[in-house]
Amino acid sequence: MKLSDVPVVSSVFEAGADNRVFDLLLLLGPLVIGLVVVLGRSFVTEVLAVAYISVFVTYTLYHGMQSN
Amino acid sequence: MNGSVATVGRDIGRILEALGGLMLVSLVVPILWGEYYALPALLVSAVIPLGIGWLLYRRFREAEAPGRLHGMIVAASGWLSVGLFGSLPFLLIAWSVQLGVPESAPAQTATLAAFTDPLNAIFESMSGFTGTGLTMTDNEEVLPRTLQWWRTFTEWIGGVGVIVLTTAILSRPGSGSLTLYESEARSEKIHPSIVSTVRTIWWIFILFTFISVLALWLVGMPIWGAINHAMTGLATGGFSITDNSIATYDSVAIDFTLIPIMLLGSIAFPVHYLILKGDLRNFYSDLQTRWVFGYMGIGSALLWGFLYYAGPYETAFAALRYGLFQFVSAATCTGFQTAVDATNVALGRWPSSAQLTVAFGTFIGGAAGSTAGGIKLIRGLTLAKGIRYHIADIFYPESAVRRLTINGRRLNEEEASREFMEAAIIVVLWITFLVLGTFVLLLTLPSAEYSLANVVFEVASAQGNVGLSSGITGPESLPTIGKIAFLFNMWIGRLEIIPVLVMLRTVLKRGGLYT
Repeated sequence: MKLSDVPVVSSVFEAGADNRVFDLLLLLGPLVIGLVVVLGRSFVTEVLAVAYISVFVTYTLYHGMQSN
Repeated sequence: MNGSVATVGRDIGRILEALGGLMLVSLVVPILWGEYYALPALLVSAVIPLGIGWLLYRRFREAEAPGRLHGMIVAASGWLSVGLFGSLPFLLIAWSVQLGVPESAPAQTATLAAFTDPLNAIFESMSGFTGTGLTMTDNEEVLPRTLQWWRTFTEWIGGVGVIVLTTAILSRPGSGSLTLYESEARSEKIHPSIVSTVRTIWWIFILFTFISVLALWLVGMPIWGAINHAMTGLATGGFSITDNSIATYDSVAIDFTLIPIMLLGSIAFPVHYLILKGDLRNFYSDLQTRWVFGYMGIGSALLWGFLYYAGPYETAFAALRYGLFQFVSAATCTGFQTAVDATNVALGRWPSSAQLTVAFGTFIGGAAGSTAGGIKLIRGLTLAKGIRYHIADIFYPESAVRRLTINGRRLNEEEASREFMEAAIIVVLWITFLVLGTFVLLLTLPSAEYSLANVVFEVASAQGNVGLSSGITGPESLPTIGKIAFLFNMWIGRLEIIPVLVMLRTVLKRGGLYT
């Protein structure tokens, strides 16, 4: 069974911008927020949140510049 | 005619099923927060629309796909139904606390008690789903977490659209979904298939929600606040879980983080899609997106000038902080507030020039195809360009072949006239209902308590789905007729008026009141 066969994952892959990085961010979002809720404010959760946002911003700009 | 009832009944049934599903999903919140007393009320709230929706869908399953007329009636009656049934959690939880059923229910508060009045509960629900943000609560902090969440959730869903949600979850391709989609004040498609389009809209919206939640949490907002404010900020709704809205946090970092979140909400989804596909040029090549930034920039600069040179703020930075936030909040039709007396100077005590600038911001709103309200930037631009085009016409010979260019589209004379007329009709209707709403409020409010400017501001805020208040809206301060009038203003504002008028004409015609 492939990853794209899992129900929620397949829905995410089928919709959106057809880009696996953004798809992955969408799938990991609830996990990161869940960790923040459970663990509270700590160095680890802050690094995770910064990494999540940085990947989104940097990749959007990189992807845009590559496409142009 | 029976065919029409069947088509409308079937689609309303689907919408109610989706609404019931949202309430079932929300059962997680009282469980996580230990508000077990709210569970029975929320469950009953879910079962009612689910049951009615299931019956309607089952009864009219074989109905024909909706035409344009049906689409508008479904949109108008669907939003009205959602407003009515969406009030059940407010009403039933308030009454279960009032009656002390179950025994674990906490003591009643004045804030929650306001929702034992069905009209207040319907007002809150309609304000939430339409993304308005005017509220019947006087202190959001004391509401049960379950209702804080339900308020947020209604705005988040309503920001994208009830029909968009229903189409994404329950509809099949080719079942008239496009007609319904267009009746909910949306026109542009992202993919050829409407179901793919709405699923992509949700994909974008959910991704942006996660980013907004984490950004707000990183700059210091507690996670529950971050979840709620990210959802209502991105949906340009403006409900808050704190008594003084965003001013409660009194944080420069939070203020400046919310500005891009509100701006994201006021940009059209097809543009977000193209940007995520790598076409960054849309930030400046798309007419509406360019004007989102241009309009916000000019308005904020103007407001900053009024606040710094003629207003109450002593430093340029303070004027920038509060002016920029309040203009973006108003122009994106969000309604978050940082200008309050508790931390600085309340918006109601700003100089008139500053207040008028904010009021004007609410009139235009964000881009068509976004979550924002108002008459929409594209209509404002079409009107401005159309007026210039028609005036310039006098200077050309009659035989001249002229084109009007709007957002890269070159329109011939007939097309230009049609688009100009459509924009003009919406604007005229918008102003007509603004004036009517103002009269209703002036007649029902206690005389000499509020100025004309206060009343116009409040009605414009309701109709533009903004949510900023000059102090009129409240469970006690707004008379019953005023609440009903605002329900109407919020409803027509969200659907851009025409579908509601079409529905009312159809209902009156069938009832023999209109021939």
